[in-house]
Amino acid sequence: MQTLFEKSVAGKRGVTVAPPEVETYSFDESLLRTELDLPELAEVDTVRHYTALSKRAFGVDDGFYPLGSCTMKYNPKLNEEIAALPGFAQAHPLTRADKVQGSLAVIDTLNAYLAGITGMDAVTLQPCAGAHGEYTGLLVIDRYHKSRGDFKRTKVLVPDSAHGTNPASAAMAGFEVVSVKSDGDKGVDIEELKKAVGEDTAALMLTNPTTLGLFEKNILEIADIVHAAGGLMYYDGANLNAVMGVVRPGDMGFDVVHLNLHKTFSTPHGGGGPGSGPVGVKRALKPFLPTPAVVSTEKGLRYEKGKQSIGKVSAFYGNFGVYVKALAYIVTLGGKGLRASAETAVLNANYLRARINEFYPVGEQRYCMHEFVLSMKKLKDETGVTALDVAKALIDRGIHPPTMYFPLIVEEALMFEPTETESKENLDRAADALREIIQEAYTAPEKLHTSPHNAPVRRPDEVAAARNPVLRA
Amino acid sequence: MSDYLSITPAEREAMLGKIGVGDVSELYADIPATLLKKKVKLSEGRSQQETFRAMKALAARNKNYDSVFLGAGSYNHYIPSVVKSLASREEFLTAYTPYQAEMSQGILQSVFEYQTMICRLTGMDVANASHYSGATAAAEACIMCADKTPKVVTFDNVNPDTLDTLGTYLSARKIELIVLPAKGGLATELPESVGKAGAVYLESPNYYGLIENVSAVAESGKAHGAAVILGCNPLSLALFKTPRELGADVAVGDGQPFGMPLSFGGPYLGYIAVTKDRMRKLPGRIVGETTDADGRRAYVLTLQAREQHIRRERATSNICSNQAHCALTAAIYLAAMGPQGLKDVATVCASNAHYLASKLESVGAKRFYNGEFFHEFVTVTPFKAADILRALDARGILGGLALDEHRILWCCTEMNTKEDMDAVVETVEATYANFV
Repeated sequence: MQTLFEKSVAGKRGVTVAPPEVETYSFDESLLRTELDLPELAEVDTVRHYTALSKRAFGVDDGFYPLGSCTMKYNPKLNEEIAALPGFAQAHPLTRADKVQGSLAVIDTLNAYLAGITGMDAVTLQPCAGAHGEYTGLLVIDRYHKSRGDFKRTKVLVPDSAHGTNPASAAMAGFEVVSVKSDGDKGVDIEELKKAVGEDTAALMLTNPTTLGLFEKNILEIADIVHAAGGLMYYDGANLNAVMGVVRPGDMGFDVVHLNLHKTFSTPHGGGGPGSGPVGVKRALKPFLPTPAVVSTEKGLRYEKGKQSIGKVSAFYGNFGVYVKALAYIVTLGGKGLRASAETAVLNANYLRARINEFYPVGEQRYCMHEFVLSMKKLKDETGVTALDVAKALIDRGIHPPTMYFPLIVEEALMFEPTETESKENLDRAADALREIIQEAYTAPEKLHTSPHNAPVRRPDEVAAARNPVLRA
Repeated sequence: MSDYLSITPAEREAMLGKIGVGDVSELYADIPATLLKKKVKLSEGRSQQETFRAMKALAARNKNYDSVFLGAGSYNHYIPSVVKSLASREEFLTAYTPYQAEMSQGILQSVFEYQTMICRLTGMDVANASHYSGATAAAEACIMCADKTPKVVTFDNVNPDTLDTLGTYLSARKIELIVLPAKGGLATELPESVGKAGAVYLESPNYYGLIENVSAVAESGKAHGAAVILGCNPLSLALFKTPRELGADVAVGDGQPFGMPLSFGGPYLGYIAVTKDRMRKLPGRIVGETTDADGRRAYVLTLQAREQHIRRERATSNICSNQAHCALTAAIYLAAMGPQGLKDVATVCASNAHYLASKLESVGAKRFYNGEFFHEFVTVTPFKAADILRALDARGILGGLALDEHRILWCCTEMNTKEDMDAVVETVEATYANFV
């Protein structure tokens, strides 16, 4: 498909702008640029271009999207309309607090809901994505230790099954990363943890349910070990969808939590963002949250600039337009709806897993949470068909592939997360598609090695893309 | 209670049967009983109609203004209907990060085109797929450039939220941040005492709206061994010389003026663009062009060896989710406006601002700084800024930002009519009359 630049025709005009009602101002020529090479298109050309692009994309509204760890649930239309209400969309962030009580109430109310859901005492909505939340939470932890005169805590423990953002965020926050071995399906290896933890431990970062889609059974013991050494427990909320309304990270022993509103709380992911990554903390860490906080006063809601705060982690108050959608979602579902969603997410994952088990071994017969990891190693050993081949073959059947080759501790991993909004019929269809692909692996593997065959393009040459980068037209 | 589930009670029973359990609670067998006993407070939900009513009531507690003269990092521009209409197409809105290239060519191509337009605006070679905001883009650009010499120099005339974010990010990485005082509102050459530095960060137009002598600051920065990072409102680049022409190595800023509503401060769009030599140090996603197995043009996420999911703690950044949909919005905005439309918007903004500044001067609100400006400027009055802003508020006008007791930072865009501007002037004049 042609690019915007190839479609450009010199002299074409898009949206016209009314001339100024006042005298046109001219800047000194020494300041001015001589060319502005942007595409020249009529409005209809722009419309056709982006409509064509949209047909070469695939969202949750198009079909099943079991991308593990990403919680691709349905994004309610209601929430889009609410975020676009002029009262919210036209509010300037620097307006005096007394004139934007609606926006401040959104922040205050959502903070309270998220604190309740996670079992935390205070929340900031400033972080713009999950990784940004991790970073913020770790800075808060660092500041907390230092405020107590404890300057030795330079290390953050991260299980080897963790998302890549965990160690990357710890490094960004100035910590040294210590990788802790996982004991397969059993989760964190307690003996390894005991060896790694010490008086230099700032925190342990943990995803629970784990990235294998299993609940960390020893969570209370793990929290005790870390706390006994003076470290804090950090909860990566990527997998909260399995347990929201059922159990709370705060009760599991976690001190700091980040959430992904674009996963768990249904805000659309927009092809890569914007997300929103609120951070919740226990009372002792509240003074260190990013500034400003929204507080209730006699005159109404106001901003408060905390003296011990880590400062700002982004402009203004983060991705307001995203978290207003999350608030609408929570208000609609209520606690009961959130719990029903979590339970159904777990039901759907276990059902799909049971269906797959009819024709391919799914591993140990322990119930998964909201997602499960399938190793395609057996298939690869027997047929040469890889997890990648299977993923690409799913594309030909109108299903977005699961997450591939993650977590790193499972060979030929495919991680399925169906989410609660998928129907039984869709899960059955996906299981049937997978059965068909696996049968084909034994009869005609060649076709799978070159799949997909029905997509706008076949497998792109990624090696060439990285070796000779073409990053702009 | 409402939910968005799609399973009937009969199907639920069948599914539980297939799994081999009688109740969903059995699936939570791994969770310690002590945890399950702690009941989470569960409120009732609402119907969609009730939620809409409740949220609309919250929105109504925000005052909407007829005219806005407040900027300072968040700009009230006209958003053509075509931008909203195209950006809200569900295939764009409800997709995840384009990990599966074959299914995501539309999104990948839109990012590639966005990167191209950012490069052409800034004169740079490579742009990333977006960052959270102009503030975080500046912070990560500084970290990128200060990896060998952990010292960054900036000025107290950059956006205060950006400055605060720089402080947070740099101190975590143990990079020294030196904030030099501006002179007459403008950045200065670096004094000898600064010594060797990794980067110098300045903005033009700066927080006060003034256009900096970037070349002079850049030259002096380079004499200190520093990479030059220039923050720009990208709309100003419709008119002014590119950061590259002015000697910058890195261009950053916030793309909110390109089609994003004020939305109480976000989501906005951080952009980062660099010269080719820094390509492999950029934070975040980058889309590249390649070919598929049949030789057709195809787009992919590329140079991923920089990123957290490959490099973990040695990645150039921890960023994963970015502001992709905002980048899409900006690209559609730029395509819809075209070069002439964009120049026209910038020209109307500047013309309005210069008109308002001269009219305000004539009624006793003098400009506090002298230099050339784009569409923001600072006035000083003998009477209180708060009195002016209160009087404007009563007329449904959102005035500028009070910088202190007597100074106001004003912003004009193409949204302000002459009538609105004259109303501002009249109000200031009346406030002055009361003061005298």
